[in-house]
Amino acid sequence: MSNMLGKIKSSEKSGYLMSLPYVLYFCIFVAFPLIFSFILIFHKWNIVTPMQWIGLRNFVRLFHDIQFFKSIRNTLVFLAIHIPLQITVALFFAIQLNKKIKFRGFFRALFFLPVIVSGVVITILWEQLYAYETGLLNLIITGLGLERIPWINSPEWAMPSIAIMATWKNVGLYIILFLVGLQGIPQYLYEAAEMDGAKSVQRFFHITIPSLNNTMLLVIILSTIGGFSLFIEPFVMTGGGPMNSTLSAMLYIYNQAFYFGHMGYAATLGFFFAFVILIVILIQKKVVERE
Amino acid sequence: MNFKMVEQNIKIMKHGCHKQRCAVVCTIILICVFLQCDKQHNGNQQKSDRVQITYWCSSNQDEIDLAKYLVDRWNASHDSINVQLQPIPASQSSEEVLLAAIAAGTTPDLCSNMWPGAMDDFISSGGLVRLDQFPDFVDYISERVPADLLETFRAPDGHFYQLPWKSNPIMIVYNKNIFHDAGVENIPRTYSEYIEAGRKITRDIDGDGNLDVWMSHRDTKPIWWQRFFDYYTFYIAASGGKTLFDGPEIIFNNEASVKVFDFFQRVYKENLFAKTTFVGDAFILGKLATQIAGPWHVSHVEKFRPPGFEYGIFPIPVPDDYQGPVYTFGDFKNISIFSTTEHPGATYKFAKYLITAEADLKLLEYTLQMPIRKDLTGNPLFKDFFMKNPNLVYFAEQAPFTRGMDGVSDLKEIFDAISQEYEACAIFNRREPAEAIKNAAERARVIIEWNRSR
Repeated sequence: MSNMLGKIKSSEKSGYLMSLPYVLYFCIFVAFPLIFSFILIFHKWNIVTPMQWIGLRNFVRLFHDIQFFKSIRNTLVFLAIHIPLQITVALFFAIQLNKKIKFRGFFRALFFLPVIVSGVVITILWEQLYAYETGLLNLIITGLGLERIPWINSPEWAMPSIAIMATWKNVGLYIILFLVGLQGIPQYLYEAAEMDGAKSVQRFFHITIPSLNNTMLLVIILSTIGGFSLFIEPFVMTGGGPMNSTLSAMLYIYNQAFYFGHMGYAATLGFFFAFVILIVILIQKKVVERE
Repeated sequence: MNFKMVEQNIKIMKHGCHKQRCAVVCTIILICVFLQCDKQHNGNQQKSDRVQITYWCSSNQDEIDLAKYLVDRWNASHDSINVQLQPIPASQSSEEVLLAAIAAGTTPDLCSNMWPGAMDDFISSGGLVRLDQFPDFVDYISERVPADLLETFRAPDGHFYQLPWKSNPIMIVYNKNIFHDAGVENIPRTYSEYIEAGRKITRDIDGDGNLDVWMSHRDTKPIWWQRFFDYYTFYIAASGGKTLFDGPEIIFNNEASVKVFDFFQRVYKENLFAKTTFVGDAFILGKLATQIAGPWHVSHVEKFRPPGFEYGIFPIPVPDDYQGPVYTFGDFKNISIFSTTEHPGATYKFAKYLITAEADLKLLEYTLQMPIRKDLTGNPLFKDFFMKNPNLVYFAEQAPFTRGMDGVSDLKEIFDAISQEYEACAIFNRREPAEAIKNAAERARVIIEWNRSR
């Protein structure tokens, strides 16, 4: 037996050696933090003073923490606005860019540009655009004789404004995904439908949309993951305000850990939030499978 | 070539490679051993010759220049104690860096960017040296700092862990041209006068339906430290120099706080404070008539003001029925020695050098910030400086009437709670001032209860 093991080890030596860097990376940056944060759940710790065992008290606090549940609600509101908006806008532009138009390559690159620009830079730019009295958007709106919109100055408008900005930033990526999907639809399906007298709207709803089901699933999953990790935009633009309306779960957890030094409580919130994400993804999976 | 020959060649190559690898590993080990020996040797030599201490200063350019000047002078005249200067590593705040350094045991010998509000965390972690263990500390510091102000720097355990160094008294910097154009001749001293002036100043100048000039502007984001420069500054002024705590007790649930919330609610309701963000410095661009700021802002205005731009300074407005001297937030930064130091005596000696009158004059010249000292306006050494910078005299006169932060570990969370209520009441007018203050105090009580429970 030991001889056999020795043989396997020597024949797979290079394989083990090559995977060693990743195993080390995994142990240091994934496994250790995960185990450590699990231990933290039962402790009170502010980094500099010794850890203090408090049993399940972090959970007791969590279930009394109205602000945390509001932050989860805010994140879900963001997803509810962002995902449909992302899909609609990306699909619209993908269809336009799939047509034989001039400078098609240029436009495809142009739409992709915001994806590779730093999130902080984009957020600062949009903060200026959204400025209530001096922002470009409101100057245009008042120029048209309409009332100013309190984009990031009102609790009702702030989260939709962040969703619009996030859509603008990420739409390029989803356009590319939809373009790949669109190019995979056989042309003869459209020709056959056209011969049967189907109008363009009918062709869109009965050929294009069903053929893009897999792409749609991918877009929904990617947007959901991106949406749950909403952090940079509210952190830079609104600080979680006005009236906590843009306080995302990630921002709240960050504040607890790094502003207030409640490492144990932040770890508890993190695990609880991971559980919420799991439930949402399971529901999504069920719905998509049924469809 | 047959297969045996090939196998033999491979064996020879493998053997060669093995030898090469051994040689490389041996060389690396030898280099490491040599370097370590050399380091130890140098270390021993340095130890025997002179004491080496590390000093962290603020990462602000003016303060780096000041620290360089002072350290160079020190090193030139002290052979036995050598100071190595390093600006605080970049981060969101210096407190984060210092906390991380305490946790990792990589703190410098001393730092001159200590925020009194974070002292409790540093002290409870055992990260700081008790300064009143040095026999001359109390006498030395009592000569420098006014007695009532010195008491605010005493830790809850009754000891001192910080050397009061500099302050930035928060006052109102105003644009004289805008005041004059709007017909406001007198400086507003009370809330009513300030609001009255604001009504005249805030207006649409070019008739396009948009406001062009506002009385003032504050960042309305509900971030805890933003409240230092609106609610907290005005609260200190309205309460005659009170802070949020009296010992372990919360005391901000009072009439002064309610009046401050009410004042800000009125200025936002009447659009006297802009609720927008500006590109560039709106005060220098002539869009804001006043700005709540410290003396650092004067250096900025001096650098960038356009020709003909005239400005002045006045104290923080107070409630109409307020009597007595006007206090304000001091925004102090102090000097502390970390317990990781191997040379507390030498470090203390250098710390005292940083607060000599000569060093304080350089602090004024390089940064325009106010040294915390009783004789700031009376010492002949500073006379020339204040003659050349008359606007800074206002800050120097205000300096004795300043208050800092309570040294409690829950401070950030309590400011966060106040910030939430301030936003709801003052900016969005969704709560009455008295109710908002009551809520903030109740939340502060819950925060303290949680944080102090075991």
